Amino acid sequence: MRSRLPVLRTRRRYLAFALEAEGEIQPNELMGEIHSSQFSLFGDAGAAKNRLKLISFDGRFGLLRCHHIYIQDTRAILASICSINGIRVALRTKGVFGTIKSATEKYIPQLGKISAENDGRRIELEEVSGWIIRTHGLEVDLCPDDRNKTKGSDTRYLGLTSFDLCGGHEDADGTPDGL
Amino acid sequence: MSFYECLKAYPEGSASASRLALTAKRLGYRGLIICNQEPSKVFRPEAADRIKGISLTIGAEIKATNIRALRGRILALRGSYPFLAVQGVTEETVRAACEDPSVDLLLHPCDGRRPFTIASARAARLNRVAIGFDLSPLMRLRGSSRARWLEATKRNLKLARKFDLALVITANARSHLDLRAPRDLLALAEVAGFDPGEAAAALQLPGKLVELNRKKWLGPGVELL
Repeated sequence: MRSRLPVLRTRRRYLAFALEAEGEIQPNELMGEIHSSQFSLFGDAGAAKNRLKLISFDGRFGLLRCHHIYIQDTRAILASICSINGIRVALRTKGVFGTIKSATEKYIPQLGKISAENDGRRIELEEVSGWIIRTHGLEVDLCPDDRNKTKGSDTRYLGLTSFDLCGGHEDADGTPDGL
Repeated sequence: MSFYECLKAYPEGSASASRLALTAKRLGYRGLIICNQEPSKVFRPEAADRIKGISLTIGAEIKATNIRALRGRILALRGSYPFLAVQGVTEETVRAACEDPSVDLLLHPCDGRRPFTIASARAARLNRVAIGFDLSPLMRLRGSSRARWLEATKRNLKLARKFDLALVITANARSHLDLRAPRDLLALAEVAGFDPGEAAAALQLPGKLVELNRKKWLGPGVELL
């Protein structure tokens, strides 16, 4: 039976994390991968000691509940995930909090605007050419014409910044991201 | 704390130097060391200078299958780059890298078939070669292959501690998606068997090595001011 005594309740911590991915990830896919990573790294006995629960996930930022003494293990679980259903991802812990309220207020910002898939612009440089898939601030994800360019790193897109591409194209149209 | 990470940039990886610098700055790194095998071909390293608050160093990585090729590459690259890492491929190249004081870092492949030997560890101690532990298999592998890697890593770590070798940990990132925050990397290192303090020192060491190599040394212990 569940204990009602506060002293017997398990102490919890909330990990705020940010997900960077090459595609869209659903919360159930993410939680499936987190559980798979946990079972693989610490086994069933380890998973029983540190029950993880996804409190919220909006596609980019999320909140994960864990046991208060297994924060390092939970960080390792998140860090050891490199792809979900074949889509390359990176899960980065932003901070650890005692309450959902403080985590949400401090570390879950408003979703930054990311432009839609394939915004129709093209980059042609001597070293690299391809279509821009998405831009976010200074970051530019490029789908290269030559797929061998991403060989070895298992990614679909090349990660560039607008500093790399600034003025590189003869027909640069003077857009705010400088391409 | 000043954490440094060794990684590969485009064209050997799939992210440009500036994208890596931007991501690393957000994650809390103090600096990055790009260790490409062809460091002169790194895509627009000058673009990364426009990202403030993070130092970017171009180092070099050597991957050679025989000793002669390894020594040739070390001679060719040592003068031009402040950081030289060697990827251990065979037992002979690992030994040769440990015996060369020009090498800063030896990235040892942690697998059961090519263990880190006592003779190599002793040579590395004598020539002050740091031993690098690449934690990317912990992220990429699953199941029995990861268990084998963990076992080999623990064995190498035991030997490195016995001979009091300098340790380095790295995620050996090939794209911005492979980069992990320093605290996440420390948590992974703890899973691999590192002590918390040892792991933190291992993540800071590349920066210290670059700083030392940038000084002009006339001889051992004699610096030109």
